[in-house]
Parts: sequence; structure tokens; C-alpha cells
Amino acid sequence: MNHWRGPAEDARKGTRGGGAVKSTGNTSVELPADAELHRRLVYGDESALAEAYTAYGGLVRRVALRVTRSPAAAEDVAQEVFAQLWSRPYAFDARRGTLRTWLSMLSHRRAVDWVRSEARHRRDARADDSALHAIPDAGPGPDETVVDRERSLLLHSALAELPQQQREVVHLAYFAGRTYRQAAVELGIPEGTAKTRLRTALRTLAETLADPPDPALERGA
Amino acid sequence: MTDDHEAVRDLLVARSFGALDPADEQTVRTHLAGCAGCAAQAARLREAVRLLDGPPLNAPAQPADSALSLALRTRPAAARAAGHAAPYAAAVAGLKALLPELEGRWSTPVVHDWDAHATVAHLLAADEHLAGRLGIAPRVPPSRIEEGTPWEEAWNRRTADVIAHEHGRTPQETAADWAAQADALLATDEARDAELAARAVTLMGMRLPVADHFLVRAFEAWVHTDDIGRAIGLAVPPPPQEHLGQLVRLAVRVLSLSLGPAAPPVLFSVTGGAEWVLGSDAEPVRAELILDPVDFCLLVGGRYAPEAVPRRTTGDAAAVRNVLERAASLSWL
Repeated sequence: MNHWRGPAEDARKGTRGGGAVKSTGNTSVELPADAELHRRLVYGDESALAEAYTAYGGLVRRVALRVTRSPAAAEDVAQEVFAQLWSRPYAFDARRGTLRTWLSMLSHRRAVDWVRSEARHRRDARADDSALHAIPDAGPGPDETVVDRERSLLLHSALAELPQQQREVVHLAYFAGRTYRQAAVELGIPEGTAKTRLRTALRTLAETLADPPDPALERGA
Repeated sequence: MTDDHEAVRDLLVARSFGALDPADEQTVRTHLAGCAGCAAQAARLREAVRLLDGPPLNAPAQPADSALSLALRTRPAAARAAGHAAPYAAAVAGLKALLPELEGRWSTPVVHDWDAHATVAHLLAADEHLAGRLGIAPRVPPSRIEEGTPWEEAWNRRTADVIAHEHGRTPQETAADWAAQADALLATDEARDAELAARAVTLMGMRLPVADHFLVRAFEAWVHTDDIGRAIGLAVPPPPQEHLGQLVRLAVRVLSLSLGPAAPPVLFSVTGGAEWVLGSDAEPVRAELILDPVDFCLLVGGRYAPEAVPRRTTGDAAAVRNVLERAASLSWL
């Protein structure tokens, strides 16, 4: 019954601050560090890129793996995410959010795109309408039904489409292992607002499952 | 009890995302143990979130150099240069990274009557003077400027000629030429060897070591990158702290020379940095002036009017105004 705790535990490993993050409650101290790291990225300091990878590489890979279910795809997505951070550094604005949230959301978006394009590619190649089954190394695991896998992709697609304010809180709470209180501090919003955004986000996700558009993976294609 | 339900239901969503701290978790757990309705809702929420879960990340991370190889192929790091040229190398990297953001926006007005294309063309012209002294051939046909023309006039005419020339080419071609010339400057021995860069040359009316002229190039590249960023709504961060310090020290030296030894003495400092007495060394100083280092650079770069720059002052207002106005008058950008 404690399955739901698994990902959150997992999410804390390898994140800066490690397992202590949930109890320290202080995430805002990292914000100035973001601006400094970003400044060095803009001015082409290679060591800043390595630092960003050390700090956030685990999160970026974990998010991508949760969506793609493929370790190889997760590595590819991570490569793309850090290539984008490095080659288009002005796309990140330290005044508008944290690097952690930005990278997490970028990784998620790229991973959803990967799954969609993989499904499309397979379908085109094989004229096979059960494209999902054909994704090598990304199919359902032993404990996962095909239906679950499809519903999971639906859910991740819906998550990627949520308004940014809701997505930020979900990413911090779910992928980055923050409590809703810590997420509120990191985003500079009241705790009640963080809870409300999580609730609105989950309602939207649940509605996606209740009434799945068909065929699911063609959305936005 | 009703309040309890409301409070707990409010926490169930956060709980389903694994986002409760231990105290909240205990509150919820105690309530769920005796409340079938909330427990059922909790189970439904958990199920929805469960579908987002994936396998645990077991594979060890790729080593950073292979994980980042795509990034470094996409954009090279700033050129390696000696300390005096490192700010220019960084500023060049910062502008190169901004260029892709200009796609489709090259005709955005930036500063003076220049659009983004003309601003980069101006930098091509502005860097050319130092490049020429270091043996790098110009990329734009030479202008007809008579010997003895005052430097400011020659400088402005060259910029105008280069902009006119570049407007006959695509912005991408102009940017590529600017970048190639900047790379050539950074590949000179003078960019890599402080001793060679100690040689003084006169450029823009200032006789300074080549090392300082590299700093002037950095200053100008950064200020114009900032101009372009503002024009297209992207925040350009100030140069790295160490480079900013180099730019401030250069600007203070030039300002001090320009004020001369007779100006009323003012104790000048930048926030979090060193302090200098500007003007005469007569005691006591007539005033104190403190500026943010970025604001000071932008003042010297002509991006602030002297009366508009944020500052902290004490003492003789006229002495302070003299310093601010002289600083603003140094701008050639």
C-alpha cells in the first residue's frame, strides 16, 4: 500500500540536499546560486555546465525515465536538456523561477515529445496501431499492464499541458521531492496557493483519465 | 469533525504527490484510520498519481563529459585567454549565445538609430581598431578617412560605413564576421600572454596597454549585448564578478585621469568593492559616492543619465555631480 511513497523517496536521492531536504524546509537559500550559475552559463563557463549537471542531472534523468520508461531514452533526453540549457541559456530567467523547476519541466516536455514521436515513428514504420507495444525497452514492466502504460502516457501528456503555475508545483512536489510547504517557499507563494494548485492540477489529470481522448498519443502530433 | 474533514481533504492531494512533511502526514494518518470516506478518496488520488510513477533510476549516471558532449558540440565554451582578455572572451561567448534568439527579430530597434543587425555591425567596426593593431585584416572594405581626422569622428564614420555595408548582407553574415574577428582577436598572442599585452597603443584617443584595450572591448561587447537583450525582452546578466571588477577598475582609472588632479576630492566606492579617492588628494574629501558596480559601468557606458543613476551619497552635492557628469561623458558606445 505504500507504493506511492516510492517515487518520492527515490526522488530525494541524488538531489542536492539529499534525504534531508524534506525536513530542513529551507530551499530558498539556493536561489541566488541559480542566478550565479546562470550568469556563468551565459558567459560560456564550461565548469558551470558541469556543476549544473552534478546538481540537476539526477532529477532530469529521473523525470525523463518516469515518462519514457527507457533508461537509454532518459539519457538522450538528459543530453538534450543540458544542450539546450547551455546553447540557449537566455531561455532561462532566474527572476521567473528556479533552475531546478525549469530543468525538470524541460526534461518532462522533451520526454513526452520523445514518447509521442517514438509512437508515431513505430506506427508509420509498421502501420501498427498498437504502437505503444512496439517501443522496445519502454513497454510495460512485469508489474504494469498495457492499459496502465497507456494511461500513464495520457497522464504525462496532460501534465505537460497544464498551465505553468500548476506544473511548477507538481514538479517540485512530485519529481523533486519537496513538501508543498517547501514548494511554496521556493515559488514565493502562500502555502494555501500551493495546495490549491496541486489540487487543480490533479483534478485536471484525473479528468483526463475519466474521459480519455482517442487515440491518446495523437494529441499535439 | 467537519473542520477535520476539510483540513484533511485539503492535504490528501499533497499527500498523493508525496509532498507532506512528517507532522502533516501524522495528522492525515490519524484521521484516515477512523474515516472510511476520506480513506477511499485518498486511495483514488493515490491511484491517479501511481500511474505517473516509473521504474526507479538504477542505471549509474553517464560521466559528465559524455553526458555533456552534445551540449559542448552545440556551443563551444568561451575561448581560453589570459586574465586581461578573459572578460572579452566571456562577453563574446555571451553575445554569441544571444544570436540565435535574434532569429526573425534582427530589425528590432536597439539603441541610437540601430536595429539589432546594425548593433552587431557596429561591434564589427568597433573591434576592428584593436584587431588592426594586432595584425588582423579588416573584413569590410576600408573607409576613406583622412589622416588627422579626430578619433571620435573617424570612429563614428567607420561605424556608419560598416553598418551601411552590412545592411547589404544578411544579419547572419554580419554576425559570422563579427564572431570570426572576435575569435581571431582571442587567438592572438596578445590575448594569451600578459607580457605581450603590456605594450601601450593609442586607440580611441586613449593610450593604454593592449591588455586594457581588451577590457574596453569586453565592456563594449557586454553593454551592447545588454542593449540587445533589453530590446528583445531577455535579461542579460552582468559579467561574472571577477570580470566586473576588472571593468570597474579600468573605468575608475579612466575617470580619474579625466577628472584630473584639481577636481574636488570625492571618496568613491562600488557596493561590496574597493574605494578610491577621485580628484585632488587634498584632505578631507568633500563627498562620498557609492554606486552599484553594474550601475557604475552602465553610467560610464552612457546607459544612465548622471542624475538618474541609483546612488548613495553624503557631503557636497556639487562635487558628486561633477564626478557623475564626468563619468557619463566618457561614453563612446
